[in-house]
Amino acid sequence: MKTTSRISRRTLLKGAGVALGLPCLDIMEVQLAQADPIAGMHRGSQKNRIAYLYFPNGAAQGSWQPEETSADGSLQKLNRWMSPLESVKQHLLVTHNLWTPRGNGHGAGTATWLTDGGYNERKIQVAGRSADQIVAERLKDQTVLPSLELSIKGEGHFSGCLPRNSISWRDAGTPLTRETEPRAVFDRMFRTGDGTAIDRSVVDMVLDHARQIKRSGSIEDRRKIDDYLESVRGIEKRMDFAEQQTQQALGNGLVTDTLTRPAPGIPSNHQTYVRLMLDLIVLAFWADATRVCTFMLDHGQSNRYFDFIPGCKGTWHALSHYRDISGRTEDDDGKTSWDTIESKRNMYNRVTRWHHAQFAYLIKKLHGIREADGRSLLETSTLCYGSSISDGHRHGEEDLPVILAGYGGGAITPGRYFKPRKATSMSRLHLAMMQTMGVDIHRFGGEEEPINLK
Amino acid sequence: MHELILIFRTWLASHLVWVGCLCFPFPAGLQGAHLTPQDRDSGIELIQNHCLDCHSGRNAEGELDLSTLIDQRPFVRQQETWRNISLRIALGDMPPRDTEVLTKTEKDEFADWYQNEIEDFDYATVRHPGYEPVRRLTHVEYQNTIRDLFKIDSIDISKFSPDLSGQSGFANSSNTLFLQTGLLEKYAQSAELIVSQIFSTEAEPPFRAAREKLLSAGDEQANPRDRADAILTKFSNRAFRRPITEKERSDLISVFHSSFSEGATFNEAIQKSLTAALIMPQFLFKLESAAVGTEPRQIDDFELASRLSYFLWASMPDNQLLRLASSGELSNPEVLNQQIERMLRNSRARSLGSIFAAEWLGFDDVGIRRRQDPIDNPWCTETLMEAMRSESALFFYSLIRDNQPIHRLVDARYTYLNEELARHYGIRGIEGPKMRPVRLKTQKRGGILTHASVLSVTAFPDRTSPVIRGHWVLDRLLGTPPPDPPPDVSEISDVVLERDDLSFRQKVQLHSQTPRCSACHQEMDPIGFSLENYDNFGRYRTRLFGEAIDADGALPNGRRFSGARGLRDVIISERKQDLTRQVARKMLTYALGRQLEYFDEAAVREIIESTRNDGDRFQTLVKEIIQSEPFMFKQAYQGELQ
Repeated sequence: MKTTSRISRRTLLKGAGVALGLPCLDIMEVQLAQADPIAGMHRGSQKNRIAYLYFPNGAAQGSWQPEETSADGSLQKLNRWMSPLESVKQHLLVTHNLWTPRGNGHGAGTATWLTDGGYNERKIQVAGRSADQIVAERLKDQTVLPSLELSIKGEGHFSGCLPRNSISWRDAGTPLTRETEPRAVFDRMFRTGDGTAIDRSVVDMVLDHARQIKRSGSIEDRRKIDDYLESVRGIEKRMDFAEQQTQQALGNGLVTDTLTRPAPGIPSNHQTYVRLMLDLIVLAFWADATRVCTFMLDHGQSNRYFDFIPGCKGTWHALSHYRDISGRTEDDDGKTSWDTIESKRNMYNRVTRWHHAQFAYLIKKLHGIREADGRSLLETSTLCYGSSISDGHRHGEEDLPVILAGYGGGAITPGRYFKPRKATSMSRLHLAMMQTMGVDIHRFGGEEEPINLK
Repeated sequence: MHELILIFRTWLASHLVWVGCLCFPFPAGLQGAHLTPQDRDSGIELIQNHCLDCHSGRNAEGELDLSTLIDQRPFVRQQETWRNISLRIALGDMPPRDTEVLTKTEKDEFADWYQNEIEDFDYATVRHPGYEPVRRLTHVEYQNTIRDLFKIDSIDISKFSPDLSGQSGFANSSNTLFLQTGLLEKYAQSAELIVSQIFSTEAEPPFRAAREKLLSAGDEQANPRDRADAILTKFSNRAFRRPITEKERSDLISVFHSSFSEGATFNEAIQKSLTAALIMPQFLFKLESAAVGTEPRQIDDFELASRLSYFLWASMPDNQLLRLASSGELSNPEVLNQQIERMLRNSRARSLGSIFAAEWLGFDDVGIRRRQDPIDNPWCTETLMEAMRSESALFFYSLIRDNQPIHRLVDARYTYLNEELARHYGIRGIEGPKMRPVRLKTQKRGGILTHASVLSVTAFPDRTSPVIRGHWVLDRLLGTPPPDPPPDVSEISDVVLERDDLSFRQKVQLHSQTPRCSACHQEMDPIGFSLENYDNFGRYRTRLFGEAIDADGALPNGRRFSGARGLRDVIISERKQDLTRQVARKMLTYALGRQLEYFDEAAVREIIESTRNDGDRFQTLVKEIIQSEPFMFKQAYQGELQ
């Protein structure tokens, strides 16, 4: 196991005094707005990034529309429950009337949020590769990690339930495991196969054996061995990138020893935890460790307490069933009941609003960092933030809460309200987003017409 | 009513549509005589005439496309879906009342068709041993395997993303065990850490012992290459759970050699080879040679050793098993029997309680999902909750170790306690934190139904839920869950909930009398109410809200019973077969590391039959599972099976 000094030598973030402790990136905006972290490493072609941020339990009806739009649809004023996003609304594309025709609810809805189609519980199968992974596949040779799958570590019931914890699928039957510990995420980006024991010769040797096992195995076995082969290649690739990055860094004199890893473990303060994970997304995009990121802000039926928000009590999923104020449902903790539907709904909305504030934080961070060509990270990014349920009490499947942010390298014109008359499949949004990332795809989830993001 | 709604939500949420048992008690009068072959498609006709309007095509209601289902023959391939359909029709949920109503004759005909096509189907015609797909070790198996490989006990797997579980309900199911770069990196880090700890100059005694053991395999006087060869071969034969191949051997030596020739010390070069071995698929996966041909083939003795050890110990085979595999004796029935008995006596077999039973019965949720606020409830300590889990795990393990009859699970006069748990139960005379077997003098305890672990995971945090407990007994314990509540079931109004003149039981009953709900609640609720003497954390009580507890009830067939003992008697006299079947199915699922399929049904029935012939005993069941076709044989995987 290696020490921090080794990591930092391998790490190339140019930046006087960038300390990636807690809070992770606070000073970046100010001091580093001009600096390209890895100057010279990737001139030329534009690097677009994409991130999907999932939250569970939906959002109450009426909490998700802008209050005022102008005739051409541009956003004038957001809803009071969207207030944290007010100051970044020029970067937002608020949607209306998107839905997933199949695969809904806390389990199937989560599993199929990025795949469309249904979910087969018995076979653990979705319709196919998820949108983020289609993009990752396209870009996999350009960054050290094809994609990053992040989650907030689940609490309570359903924390171990597969469909509620899986939004990214490498293929119809393979959900991607997700990192929950900030340090582990950091290490995946910046720690190379650092030990002395596992080097290229070892990697070659184990690859050779895995291939041999694969050749003699059955069809079903081959899939599992493919998982292994793919994993080893991931490690191998990191070695390639590490060498390349180290050389570049040394050549450019960019090495800094000031980058520190996040502390081990899970921060006990929930907001600190979520923001640290968001910082890591910013860092991943900034350092070009990956261009595809998914982040589950909680598992698909989160029962987390948001008591730290003034005026909130009870668990999230319980709050989402706001029309039941008895405090006696499955998810209630037995100690909490509510006075009125109105007050419970307000608590539910406060939790939604708290998440908006975290999303706004990410937007601002990305907006504050400029690349060599003077454009901010937000300009080359597309963020999709939303849930697979609309109104939590109804378990609604129509008019899902989904907001886009960013400019997709010029492919998106934000600052407006996208409001199709008819219920529009999320697949059309996925299609459009994948296309902004340069994926040559024209059919997804049975849909062929991307929605117009311009 | 909330009780129902919340159950409904749980079901929706967990999609517990399947259903271990094919013998759900239909309302009386729905089961008819067997049909002649020409009548057989009456069920399909009914589906075609009454169901396809809504249930067909891509946008079928409930994502249930019956138009394709009726073409899938034999029908047992979709046995669970058909079971649900038949329950829905029998109960009158489907077709929806406002669209169509089936006549009694039509319903009877369909029930007959179902009985004939699914329950009485000749499963021998579709039998197949299945195929154990390659799977990686679960995190716990990995931890145990490292423990037994090095005799060290300090592997930290907290950084591993948790193993998720799917429909089989067990973390060892091959279809949920994925491996991706993130995890492989953690395996690599873990391997480097273990090996470097073992070879550290300041190694702790157990690590030093592990190093000495490893190195003692080679002759120090021999040339380094030969010495390394001896060390690595001996190590890998154990790590890979079978004799290594010539290629494996030479490759591991060349890792050593290239490092050694570049100037590494002997120990450094050995470390590198050992680390490499610990990230090879041969170590991280349960690998078996692929089955070929179209006939079932018996697994070889090394495969048997691993299947046995991961089933009974959740860990690698020990030297004795490997030796017997090597001499080809392990599959000898007599030897196998002795080994099973030996393994069950070994403390590693406690995993059958702490993993198998915990995941099956759900009591691993105590302390995670079920806990009390420690400030208001200072008695609810981590150590108490740990003791609650241990009680059930040790108790379950003892049933197997001591070859108890299966019904002892609900009917035991002993349990495992320490001082804290005994106090929780109001039992005196137990001192100290150590769990120990205790003969019970009180009638209030005995059997899994009275364990605080089970009673708390089937309650709300602040109060009991007779409906959840009733459902738990029918579903988890007996494998005969009632069907999902109708999708449009309404909540009972707050008006009823707020009525002070009704007891809690009366409110639940008021709801359960609703015609559409009553069929299932008539069965669930009395079971749950019979456990009302135990509060939401399993403490015994006789009064609730100032009133004496009414733990009497009657089953739909009229049989009356009272309290936990009454429930126990009912299970033993009326549901013993369901209990045996459920234990057998669950244990086979766990033993195989895959969910059961329709083609396993013949084997399941044989296991039950043989177990019954020997007094329905636990160890017999374990042995029958091990000697069953799906455990001992494999056949080339055929995609169309599923």
